Amino acid sequence: MIRAPDTTALAVHDLHVSYAGAGPALRGVSLEVAEGGVTAVLGSNGAGKTTLLRALSGTLRSQRGTITRGTIEFAGRNLAGAHAADIARSGLVQVPEGRRVFGTLTVEENLRAGGLAARDKHAARARVDELFPILRERRSQRAALLSGGEQQMLAIGRALMASPRVLLLDEPSLGLAPRIVEQLADVIREINRQGVTVVLVEQNAAMALAVAQRAVVLEVGEVALEGAADELAESEAVRERYLGTAKRSAQAPVESDAEELVVDGLSVQFGGITALSEVSFTVSPGSMHALIGPNGAGKSTCLNVLSGVYEASAGSARYGPRELTGLKPHRIAALGISRTFQNIALSPRVSVLDNLLVARHRLMRSGFVADGLRLPRARRERTEHEARVREIAGLLDLEPVLARPVGTLSYGTRKRVELARALCAEPKLLLLDEPVAGMVRDESEAMAQAIANARTELGISVLLVEHDMAFVMGIADRVTVLDFGRRIADGTPEAVQRDPEVLRAYLGGAA
Amino acid sequence: MNQFVTLVVGGLFLGSIYSLVALGFVTVFKATQVINFAQGSVLLLGAYVIARAHDSIGFWPAVVLGVLAAAVAAVLIDAVFIRRVRDADLGTLAILTLGIDILLLTELTRRIGTDVLNIGAPWGSDVVEALGIRIPASRVIAGGVAMVLVAGFWAAFKFTDWGIAMRSAAEDGETASLMGIRLNRVAAAAWALAGALAAIGGLFLTSFPAAGVTGGVGLVALAAIPAVVLGGFDSPAGAVVGGLIIGVVSVLTAGYQQELSFLGRGLGGVAPYVVMLLVLLVRPSGLFGTREITRV
Repeated sequence: MIRAPDTTALAVHDLHVSYAGAGPALRGVSLEVAEGGVTAVLGSNGAGKTTLLRALSGTLRSQRGTITRGTIEFAGRNLAGAHAADIARSGLVQVPEGRRVFGTLTVEENLRAGGLAARDKHAARARVDELFPILRERRSQRAALLSGGEQQMLAIGRALMASPRVLLLDEPSLGLAPRIVEQLADVIREINRQGVTVVLVEQNAAMALAVAQRAVVLEVGEVALEGAADELAESEAVRERYLGTAKRSAQAPVESDAEELVVDGLSVQFGGITALSEVSFTVSPGSMHALIGPNGAGKSTCLNVLSGVYEASAGSARYGPRELTGLKPHRIAALGISRTFQNIALSPRVSVLDNLLVARHRLMRSGFVADGLRLPRARRERTEHEARVREIAGLLDLEPVLARPVGTLSYGTRKRVELARALCAEPKLLLLDEPVAGMVRDESEAMAQAIANARTELGISVLLVEHDMAFVMGIADRVTVLDFGRRIADGTPEAVQRDPEVLRAYLGGAA
Repeated sequence: MNQFVTLVVGGLFLGSIYSLVALGFVTVFKATQVINFAQGSVLLLGAYVIARAHDSIGFWPAVVLGVLAAAVAAVLIDAVFIRRVRDADLGTLAILTLGIDILLLTELTRRIGTDVLNIGAPWGSDVVEALGIRIPASRVIAGGVAMVLVAGFWAAFKFTDWGIAMRSAAEDGETASLMGIRLNRVAAAAWALAGALAAIGGLFLTSFPAAGVTGGVGLVALAAIPAVVLGGFDSPAGAVVGGLIIGVVSVLTAGYQQELSFLGRGLGGVAPYVVMLLVLLVRPSGLFGTREITRV
């Protein structure tokens, strides 16, 4: 085993990165990657992990990002600002997030593409064949036809073809099943054993801390913690960052005329894959219920069933007396159930006010003819709806931006507009899909406030899907935890936080 | 009937020339996501250099020179104008190439003036006759050359390292660069190839039965655009098939001009576009196109 912890393979010093039209994304990040080791970079969405990797691999430019200060030392030169292809050729090779295999090329051609710039293709090829026998079997298949796990193996194999000295892995476990993630961890250990230094960027702290010797935790563009991986896994500080602290006692449910939502034994299958397996929980009227779990736990799938986008393969979801499974999305919306999406789905060139008015459609009676002709009835109706829209916008602190096109607003504000739009449909039950994904701390606090206001002022139930556990601990009354499609815990935030199953899912065996 | 067969065969040979020009167009689009309207003037440049040079250095050296000149011009267009605004949207880049086309075309037509320059091909105005069909020798040679070039292009695209670099870069440029593939070089190779193909197309488009190199040849090359659109913007096979279809359609409509006179004169010029529109009505992404053209 090559292990000389005193030599540094890659040294990042005081790195600052900004994107055009946005604030700094990295603010003085320094870290040293030991030669021959595995270093994990952890952090939640928006912490700057991807930005750090883009800076290292020279791909900031396409996102209009620039390194404003600092150095990246690798193989005796400063890589800050170098071209991606030159960086890869010097031995620092990245496996991009989301795998990004060349789908129209065969497995064989993907591997050849990886080795185009390498000196010793045959040795690299022999190593890849040995590590991934499956790729040999599939070599004449188009890469797009491989399963997610196989594509991840191909993406790693392709990068190994370039004979890296340091391999950067960007969220390799994203969206993969537990068994595959275990295989992946073994593959990374094996690659490292063969002498390749590995930098592993992960949201899955359990997996990353199990593989790495050292880890750094990024938070809002800065290094918040660093140390030996096993120590970090045990530390209170990491536990708090990943699990949060229940900031205040749970609120009593507010006055509400929402119905109870009872999810009972809900299962969803895609082809042969079980995305959700016999999940049950109850959202009582007026409560703030959180559905949490690591990436790939099945949270969004559950939400998609409740809003009618996916079909359940077994089980039921009843809202009061009505069965939701099998209803079309617009029928579910008509029952007073609104949802937001993980990715913003607003019209960027239209003003905030008009985006919100669209959501009143369900409540408007005059047709487009009357509206187009500006008949008095239609005008009166529009005035009434506009007043209500302004009221709701006020709850979320959006009044100052009502006239602005949505595209000109910051990310955090747009997410609040999306929440407002869902509220403008006057739901009784609001389904929120990752409302704070990718937000910096200030924005996520504003969002938490907005959600809390909306619930108390409008008297609605909220079902909140989120993987940032720290965020939901502060605002939820009740928490259901999913892991790999199964329910592993259900209870108050305090109880869930101490649950050994939950600790294992979030922090791994070490916790 | 004999006339029909003659026209179809003649159309296929003409179409093979369009195919070459269209193939260059598609190569550039795949490698750099640029709709290159300057292809027409680069074609004229290649033909012009051949026509000017053949007297002093002989025909074949002149062809080599013309092909090189067009390739270098195309690479320069990419390196000087396109590269620095690579991230601009599709429309902006297309308009940029239109502007370059106008500049280059204006300069070339100024130099050519009202002359008709002889391309100096050794096959001159020979005509080949087989099975009762008479076809100009230049067109037959064009067909043969096109076949060889298309086959070579296909093999290179499919089997060589260059082809793999090209296809990786076309599918996901950023990831390709993470593998050490230099996108600027891939782009330069694609532009050079497009320039060379345009020059060869220009050579045959200005040979007999055409009169020679005139300022209008750049416009004739525009027929490659319906061929590309028809075939699907990102498909080399589509470019070849599209070129053949356009060749046949324009020769047929010109040949049956008498019978089609109720549609007005000059139908041969319009027909390619009519066929293109008809195909697009049924298959909006072209015959072989895989996806909508969007830059994300």
